[in-house]
This record gives sequence, C-alpha cells and structure tokens, in this order.
Amino acid sequence: MYQKVPVTILTGYLGSGKTTLLNKILSEEHGKRIAVIENEYGEVGIDQGLVINADEEVFEMSNGCICCTVRGDLIRVLGNLMKRRDKFDYVLVETTGLADPGPVAQTFFMDEEIREEFTLDGIVTLIDAAHIDQQLERSQESSEQVAFADVLILNKSDLVKEDSLVKLESRLRDMNSMAQVVRSTQADVSVESVLNLSAFDLDQVLERRPTFLEPEYPFEWTGVYQLEEGHYQMILEEGPDPEMSLVGIPEQKEDEESLKESAEQCVRLYALPATAINPGDSISMKQHLSLQLKSSGSKTFHFNSKTNTTIGFYAQHTAEEFDLKIIKETSSGMKTSAAEQSFTPIKPIKERVWVAEHEHDDEVGSMAIERVGNVDPDKLDQWIGQLLAEKGVDIFRTKGFISYPNESRRIVFQGVHMLFTAQPGQEWGDEPRRNQLVFIGRNLDEDQIRKDFDQCLI
Amino acid sequence: MPDMKAFAPQGMLHEGWSAQADDYALTCGWGEKGKTLLVGDVAGGLYAFNADSGNLIWTKKEVHQGGLLALAIHPEGDRVATSGQDGSVVVWDATTGDVLHQIQPGKSWVEHLAWSDNGQTLAVASGRHVHLYSSDGIEQWKTDAHPSTVSAISWSKPDELASACYGRVTFFNLTEQQEDQKLEWQGSLVSMVLSPDGDIVACGSQDNSVHFWRRTTGMDAEMTGYPGKPSQLAFDQSGRFLATGGSDQIIVWNFQGKGPEGSLPGQLVLHPEPISSLAFANQRLVLASGSRDGSVFVWFLDKNGDGNPLGGAFVGERVSEVCWKPNDSALAAIDAEGGINVWDFKIREGKNS
Repeated sequence: MYQKVPVTILTGYLGSGKTTLLNKILSEEHGKRIAVIENEYGEVGIDQGLVINADEEVFEMSNGCICCTVRGDLIRVLGNLMKRRDKFDYVLVETTGLADPGPVAQTFFMDEEIREEFTLDGIVTLIDAAHIDQQLERSQESSEQVAFADVLILNKSDLVKEDSLVKLESRLRDMNSMAQVVRSTQADVSVESVLNLSAFDLDQVLERRPTFLEPEYPFEWTGVYQLEEGHYQMILEEGPDPEMSLVGIPEQKEDEESLKESAEQCVRLYALPATAINPGDSISMKQHLSLQLKSSGSKTFHFNSKTNTTIGFYAQHTAEEFDLKIIKETSSGMKTSAAEQSFTPIKPIKERVWVAEHEHDDEVGSMAIERVGNVDPDKLDQWIGQLLAEKGVDIFRTKGFISYPNESRRIVFQGVHMLFTAQPGQEWGDEPRRNQLVFIGRNLDEDQIRKDFDQCLI
Repeated sequence: MPDMKAFAPQGMLHEGWSAQADDYALTCGWGEKGKTLLVGDVAGGLYAFNADSGNLIWTKKEVHQGGLLALAIHPEGDRVATSGQDGSVVVWDATTGDVLHQIQPGKSWVEHLAWSDNGQTLAVASGRHVHLYSSDGIEQWKTDAHPSTVSAISWSKPDELASACYGRVTFFNLTEQQEDQKLEWQGSLVSMVLSPDGDIVACGSQDNSVHFWRRTTGMDAEMTGYPGKPSQLAFDQSGRFLATGGSDQIIVWNFQGKGPEGSLPGQLVLHPEPISSLAFANQRLVLASGSRDGSVFVWFLDKNGDGNPLGGAFVGERVSEVCWKPNDSALAAIDAEGGINVWDFKIREGKNS
C-alpha cells in the first residue's frame, strides 16, 4: 500500500497570521515538497512555486444534509494534483478568514477518490490573541474554527498580558479540550507542532497532550505562598462575583503531583456546604469557605501561620479577577487602611490554573467519556448512528477509541458532523480494555450522552 | 512496470502497438481522420504517433506551465487545442506540431475545451466563464460568470453550447449571444453528456447520482444508488443508451420507450475496480470501458442495455481514457503510468472465444 498524501488545513481570521505561518513552513521545510492551495488573494505573497489559487466553492447537495456539503474547488484541484503525486508530498490548504472548516474537512471523508489518495492530517487554527474574544462574540465562524481545530495557535500573544492569555487559554480549552494550544508571536511556531500530527488519531493526541482528558475542577486557581510565622491578611478588590469559594491547604508543596493530590482533596471539600465568612473574619484551613464580597471597596480576611510553612489557596476564581493579595501584618496587628496600601504583597511561589467546570459561557464546548471495559458493537452502532443523525449538525468533531469484546485491536473512531469512520487500530495486548470518546459541539447534552454511552457497555 | 503486469489482448482486441509517455497520460484523440493518435501527459508533454505503426511523428515538452489539463482535436483532424494550469490555450498544427494560435482567456486553470461539430468555434472553460473563439483564435464572445467554476461543456448544435456547474446546466445561443435555457438542480454537477440529438442532458453529480433532463418536455429525473461519483458518462450514437460509471459495474440506462425512469438498467460486470473511462464506438452498439486497476473491456450491448464482452486487455495501471478510432478499427487506451496501447478491433460474427 502506498502512502496517502497528508493534508493540513489552516484556518483563522483575516490578520491572524496564516500567510506568515505558511511562509515560515515553506521556508523551513526544504526537504518536503509542499503544494499550497490558497483561497485568499492579495494578503501577502507566498514565496514558493507550487501554489494554486482556487475560489472557495462550497457545494451543498439537494438532500440538504450539511455533512454532504463539500468544497468543490478542493475536489477539482486535488483531483488534478493526485495525477502529479511525484511532484509533492504534502498539501496545505489555507481557507479564507470567514470559512466554516466543516466542508473542508468533510471533503476528505465524502469524496471517495479524494479519500483514497489523501489523508486529513490536522486542522490548525490561528488565533489573534488580542481580538479573539470579540470575534468569538460576534461570529459563529470563529467559534467553529476553534471547535474544529487540532492545534490552536495563539498568535500575537506578545500583545496580550499573561493573565489574559491564561484566561483565554482556559476559555479555548473549554470549547475544545482536544486541541493543543500553542502560544506564538509572529506565527513563529515549530513546524513539528503543525505538520504531520496524525491529529485525527486519538492515540497521537493523547501522546502529545496526556492531560486533555483531565477532569474539571470546581476551582479555577491555586496560589502557593511561602509564609513565615505571623498574622496575614488576604485582600480582595471588587470582582465579577458577590462571593467566592476558597479552601486553604497548609504545607502545600509546589510540585505538580502534590498540587493534584490537594486538588482531589479540595474537590471533596468543595462538595461540602460552604461556611460563609464576612470581611474581617478569619480564614480557617481545610474548610470550604464562601467569602462574602458584596460590600464595595477592598475586603480583608485574616489568617495565621504558626510556623515557617507554605499554604496553598484553591480559589473559585483566578487571583487576577479580584486582584487577590496576601500581605503580612506587623506585630501590633492594628493597621489603618491607608497604611495597608504601603505593604508589599507577597508573591506566590507557584500558581496553577485548573480547567474550571463552571465556565461554560460559550455555546461550543467539548466533552470526554472515559470508561473501562467493553462495549456491545451493535448497541454502540445504533446509538452513535442515531446521535450523529439527530445531533450531527451541532457535533463538529468526534474522536476516540472503543473496545469490542471479540476484537484484539482498538476500534478507532473519527468523525466530522454526521460522517464518521470506525477502523481497527493498535492491538490491545495485555492492556486493560477501555473506551474513550471525545465530542466537540454546540450545546452538547453531556449527561444524556454519558448515560447513553453507559447503556452500550457490556 | 506496466508491461510486466500487462497481458495480451483477448477476443476481438488484437495486438496493435504500444508506446510510452514521460508522465501520467491524461488525454488522447485521433488526428487527421484517424491517421495519427495524439496524446497529452500531465506534465505538459504532447505526442503525435502514426496510428498504424505507433512511430512517434513529433513531440513537445512542457507545453503548459504547471501541467496540461485538456486536449481537443478539431473535427477536421488537422488541428489540436491543448490547455493547462497556466490558464492558456494553444492550438497546434496536428501534422507538424507547429503552434498556430496562443490564447490566454484568463488566469484560471482551463480544464475543458470543445470544438463545435462544424469546426468553426472553440469553446474554452476558464474559471466561471466560457470563452468562444473562432478557428483563427479570435475571441467572439464570453458568457457571464457562472455561479461556480464550469465543470463541463458540450455542443448541442453548431451555434448552441451547454455548460454545467454547481446547481445548473445552461444553454447558450451563440448567434444571439444569450442564454437559451437554464436547467436548475441543487447539486454539484461534475460531468455532462448530451444525447446526439441534443435533447437529453445527463450529468454526473457529486452526491453519487446521475441527473438528467429532457429539453423538449422539461422533464427531469435522478438516478441514485451509485456507490461512487458517476463522473464517466457516454451516450451511444443512436441516443438510446447512456452508459455510466461510479462503481466497478457499468450501469446502462435505456432511453427508448418509457424508460429509463422506473426501469431496470443494464449492468456490465467484469471490472474488478471502479470504472475510470467509457466510450461508445462510432458506428456500432459497442462500448469500451477502462478501470482503475488497468483492465479494459469491449462490450456488445443487447436491446436491454445488458451486454457481453467482446474482448479485453490489461494494462496494469489506471486507465485515464479509452478512445475509438473514427472508423472503429482500433481502440486506444492510455494510463496513469504513461502507457499508450492501441489494439486492432475486428468484429467477427458468431461466438468469440
């Protein structure tokens, strides 16, 4: 069997840096012969020979099925290119800024001749970090470009403050947990992070980013503080919420494993009812507290450190949102508010942002199912067939693998809207049997999908 | 190595000659009333062979920057037009290989060329427009922009041309320089063929169907159920049978009588892989078919559109085109590895081996 030619789709709003990235790839990949199919005229010229300009022609079919919508120009151009296979070994398709990536991706599933010669390697979406927030509010295309992506490149990240970037990353991960998020300036990312990803293969995704199935937490932020013995104040300014949940963990170590261990502990504490405390009250450790923040101006809470130790605060919101500060009191303990201003806040020795479960503001979101055991092939077929037939319009991508009882290999699923393929992949060997499925879509009914999947388990 | 896998022709196909192009042989046609065979390859190689001996008469390299996409032989056979990714059209003297005219309709790829039957006009599809040139290469008219790139063109009368694109077939009256008729249907029409009398328009569609219209009655119908895209279409000379690809079977629709709506089509089953080219002979109810695996068959059709193979050959590579000599005494097949095979075709009465 000869190798199919890999294709990478490059999407992103006008001005997000697609052409800069294209030129970078072309100038660095001397060994590869890359054919570029370009849909936007006029931006910046592309410095290479095999560039084909094609008008974006989106063809809907008479059956009205959106998953049958394909890009006619691509079928035509690729159909001709495949007769000249010796001339190139990679294809890059650049879409226009407002393009819906669906028809482009579907073209590689729908057209039998294209499917036979080409394989969709991945969808790379460039994001203008300074403007994406507004774009996501304004345009459906923009959120679809995020939803379809295998790689999200946060370009122009030098123009945006660190804390905004962290928030933006969290928003994007919320919409698409499957994609790898890469920061860049001037679209300067390594070529390996965009080409030859085999991104449509979930195993590869897990290898690259093993945490993408990471659970969601009821808190968004952890700050670990190194504190000597003494009295401390936690000061919060006005923020987005009238209250905020908080748990303090003494002797918090700053390594990832310890953070995760405490995070699990905090999840259990967060599940207990919160004790409301008002400004001026004390913060007790290892307890689910709800800081009452309704009053205007700065709010101060107190806590003690009995020895030289570290404390980790697991907060519902990031420190930035309330401008949370920790300062040490002098021995007298009595400060006028004017004098407080002069104290230097203590910087955390470690900060970590968690995937927060409360942050589902965007219609577009993703969900992952992970279950051990085997599934019944007939039940699964029936369920996924029905799910995609009914909800396929709103489900942008499906990816995953399944374990069937009488099959020694993983069954690898991948889909775009209603189209999906299921093919045997890697051998299970001695590995325990398990199933993973990821859906990215609009208004996903997570509970129902989980429940229905569980029905398919044997 | 196509000749390692190829086997000798069988049945009514007899050993003729073979030759080799430098690249994927894309398109071919018989020149000078069957005295020469002209072949174009994807790299822009153009070849003229002696039809009897297979000797190379002349050849040109890289005639279109980026690659050649189409070739059309003038009905007189003395001229051949080629076009390519460079957006240009070149008209060649078929006998000498000299350039007669060079035309640049636009920047878009030119994938479709068609001479009118009387040889007076060359139609050129460039992007969303069709340009019409006199045989001297002078532009006479250009259609308005189509809704999408033109995917097929075909002459229905000496002064009437049909074009297909996404969502519609359009007929243009060239004397009046206007649209005559528009046949609309929401689908991506990827190929088109007209019955010899010009009444039936059949299009292969991206959604694995064949859509057709009868111009006189305005009736249209859709033939669905194809496993693949039926890009290959051919009408026989009488206008009775439409042969279609789209799978490893050839489906033959019978337009005589009430059909083909509601009727069962003929099925020609022998190719192991999907059909890649179809061509009816010029005089008889004989169909030639080529497939992606390199098999070539010649079929004799019965009155229902079913048929029996008269002969076959195997060239080992995807057949890009099969083409009958004007007097049907030979069949040419060109393939993806640049192979060019010409077999003599001799019809015998009675059962063949």
